[in-house]
Amino acid sequence: MKVEHFLEKNEVREITIFKQLVLNNGILSYGKMLDHLAVSKASLENDLESITSRIEVFNDQVQVDYDGQEIKLTMSDHISLQHIYRIYLDQSIKMEIINYLFKHQEFSITQLTQQLAISDSSLFRKIKELNTHLKEFGLKIRNGQLQGEELQIRYFYFQFYYYIEDKSALIHLRSDQQITQAVQSVENFLQVNIVPENRQRLNIWLIISKSRITNKNKNYKQLRKQMHPYLKDPLYHKIHVMVLRYYSRYSIEVDEEEAMLHFAFLLAFPILTEHDFHEYTLIRDRHAPIASLDTYIVETIIIHFKFRKLPYMLERDMYYHLTHIHTRLYFFQGDIEIYEYEEMLAREKQVVGKNLVPLARTLLTTSTDKFMSTEVGDNSLLKMELLKYISLLTLISFKMATVIQIGIDLKMDGLYKDTLSQLLILKMRPINGIQIEVYQPSKSYDLILTNEKPDEEHQYQEARVYILSEILSSFDMANIQRIIQELNA
Amino acid sequence: MKVVIIGASFAGVAAALEVRKKHPHAEIILLEKQSTLGYIPNGLHLYWEQKIEHLDEARFITKEQLETQKVQCHLGATVQKINTTQKILHYDYSEQEELISYDKLIIATGSRQLSEKIDGSAHESVLKYKRYGEAQAALVKVEESQHVTIIGGGQVGVEAADLLNKKQKQVTLIESMDYVLFKYLDEEMIQPIEQKMIEEGIDLKLRQTVSSIETNEEQKVTVHLGEDSVTSDAVIMGVNVRPNLHFLDTQVELHMDQTIAVDRYLKTSVKDVFAVGDCIQLSGPGEDMVYIPLINNAVRTGIVAAANLMEPTVTFNGSLRTIGTSIFGHYIASTGMTEAESLFTNQKVKTRRQTVRLNSLPNSETVTLKWVYDADTEVILGAQMISTANILEKINTLALAIQTKQTLEDLQQKDYFFHPAYSPMVSTTNLVSWMEERIDEDES
Repeated sequence: MKVEHFLEKNEVREITIFKQLVLNNGILSYGKMLDHLAVSKASLENDLESITSRIEVFNDQVQVDYDGQEIKLTMSDHISLQHIYRIYLDQSIKMEIINYLFKHQEFSITQLTQQLAISDSSLFRKIKELNTHLKEFGLKIRNGQLQGEELQIRYFYFQFYYYIEDKSALIHLRSDQQITQAVQSVENFLQVNIVPENRQRLNIWLIISKSRITNKNKNYKQLRKQMHPYLKDPLYHKIHVMVLRYYSRYSIEVDEEEAMLHFAFLLAFPILTEHDFHEYTLIRDRHAPIASLDTYIVETIIIHFKFRKLPYMLERDMYYHLTHIHTRLYFFQGDIEIYEYEEMLAREKQVVGKNLVPLARTLLTTSTDKFMSTEVGDNSLLKMELLKYISLLTLISFKMATVIQIGIDLKMDGLYKDTLSQLLILKMRPINGIQIEVYQPSKSYDLILTNEKPDEEHQYQEARVYILSEILSSFDMANIQRIIQELNA
Repeated sequence: MKVVIIGASFAGVAAALEVRKKHPHAEIILLEKQSTLGYIPNGLHLYWEQKIEHLDEARFITKEQLETQKVQCHLGATVQKINTTQKILHYDYSEQEELISYDKLIIATGSRQLSEKIDGSAHESVLKYKRYGEAQAALVKVEESQHVTIIGGGQVGVEAADLLNKKQKQVTLIESMDYVLFKYLDEEMIQPIEQKMIEEGIDLKLRQTVSSIETNEEQKVTVHLGEDSVTSDAVIMGVNVRPNLHFLDTQVELHMDQTIAVDRYLKTSVKDVFAVGDCIQLSGPGEDMVYIPLINNAVRTGIVAAANLMEPTVTFNGSLRTIGTSIFGHYIASTGMTEAESLFTNQKVKTRRQTVRLNSLPNSETVTLKWVYDADTEVILGAQMISTANILEKINTLALAIQTKQTLEDLQQKDYFFHPAYSPMVSTTNLVSWMEERIDEDES
């Protein structure tokens, strides 16, 4: 599912126009824009008119000027593309349907058509469209209710409120003393520390849980099966005790599965800090599906990179992120694509080089095979988790890259020597994985850059030596880059 | 003024009597769904304990006593709906729909032991005996049963387990938490009881949740718990109670847990409508709003609502969830916050536990007390007691100390009588450290 699925076709085109303008320094010719959108000029004109009326709310803080040749965007420093998306989403009928469902749990067609001021037939059409996108979550709107596994319902609402709807509005509206207290209770009961950004996630999750608690038709079939290996898990036990105690204070008969929902959420999203999570990894059952997959994937990565030993904290970090990824794959279906998958993939490829992406794909296939997932390939959850694997691999390869020590030892008059050395350092600084400085005889280096052949053969010990032809020339730079790559290999 | 009260259990009756005292000329009408009145919930336990000879003796008031107070009682009247705009009630009486108007309405319909989650729990072979009619049926059924399964290890469940065990029944007790009576006692305080239960042969199933109950043709009842199951002759529901408020109109605001939202004067969101007893949340030991269905609260809220009928004058000052009972050879009592419950508050608490003698004689019995207090101010927040002697009345002293926000030091200075046959050198509730036989300080 994507954010744009909540918008109409013309609205998607309009935000694409904004996006293209932002990507092109705020100015783009009609021709290029028409190519990108693949529409007629008349329809582009229509879109631009519509944009003009939409952005009136910004009172000149956002301006789109067009003259038949060029389109130009100006925005004040305090407005971003996100604000613009927001006005489109705020007017979306599909968003309103989800919001209404969340608030009231169910609706009748008459109620909803009156509330939204639309006809029966367009309501049916919107619901049908929503259902095509809800399908990957295993959910559908039927008989005026959101139907499916309870875990999936809460997970969908969470993603919806965290990534699509204005989350601060939800928190403002729904977060009361009781919710704040509940967050505090989670900290007390689990003996963990919840940092501010994680607290916001937990806050939203608890708001959603509170609103769902009294719903009478909850379905846990899948969850009960998934939880089978975790019924003796120490974290689950703590959560279970907390949930039972919490609801024993109210006139609510709580389902046993309520604790299971929280367990899945707490491990699939960054709620615990790495430190608290680590404490849990020491006592969790290593043979349970998620933990054993974590270990398997860590080993696969270590073997791939031919690492002899990982730094202790890096290994802990890997487990932390992998458990999030694997818990998601284990318990959840579907996702909201918060990043443009293709763009992100292309960008990551540039940074990490080509070989990490196939490795990430292998890891994902391994994981889905282990969990015997029946998900189809074109699934947002799988796409998002692939991006996470890639990010993790990138992180690891950055952290594990050997830093190449480079010394600059220029032989010339003092003033030139200092200036040119500094300029050279400045020019080379953007290159990843190097440490560069003016040569100090007491230190050892991997590479020495100099302008004269050394007097003695081992003047620089084991270091490779490159003799610059013309300091700062692109010829030299290319050679140096090549040597760095060779040293890295 | 016409005051209509729905429900003639403790809260409703207390409210009726208090309205009579405050308003000698008011017309007071009590509508009660049951055909009898004033039955003490779980009076069946008194009968099993042989404190009463007939179940019918478990009554705290009679219709006649109420009528001498000029309180009209309509028994067998089931309220179907209320219209708070027109101030009219619809109720069924002798299979006819009747209407009654009111000037002031007090909702005191109480609560039921009912599970919506456990399949088959509504079946008549699954016993609930909070009410008189139910108790009569349960009495007969239990009498002819050999093996009884009790669902829920709260006060009702554990008392029933003890009494039925004494009646030579085989008892299975199922509790979803780690230990029984978890609302009132911390885990270490309950150890002597659980040990005694096991010695007595109670089949104690902790951390188990009942999913469904099946009744077969030979009248055997099977309780399913995950992959386990227990088949016995009878099942007793000792689960948490909940109000049943289907008759309300939408004007009356409810909490998330479907209890009626009231202010400190016990007024609902609708003018001239009050709610009391097991229909509402109260300010609890941690001063947040919680659901504490206890008779003590029912009576006290009934009185407060009656006092506020004309104008808001008296606020309800909350509940400490004070309880006391005798089970498995021990007297236990609790008031205020437990250490486990303190995790739901922002308060940082400390605790102390001590075992002290009850008098100055050589063969004196002892009581183990646990104190929960604020770590900074040392104001007492909760207390728990367990003893083989009857120490129950002492909990009221501690409840008052908590209500009046006394500190540990205040308690040490508390005045008391000394008599060697009845008291130790320092009163047991005074918390003087050098008197202790055993002390565990600052465990938290």
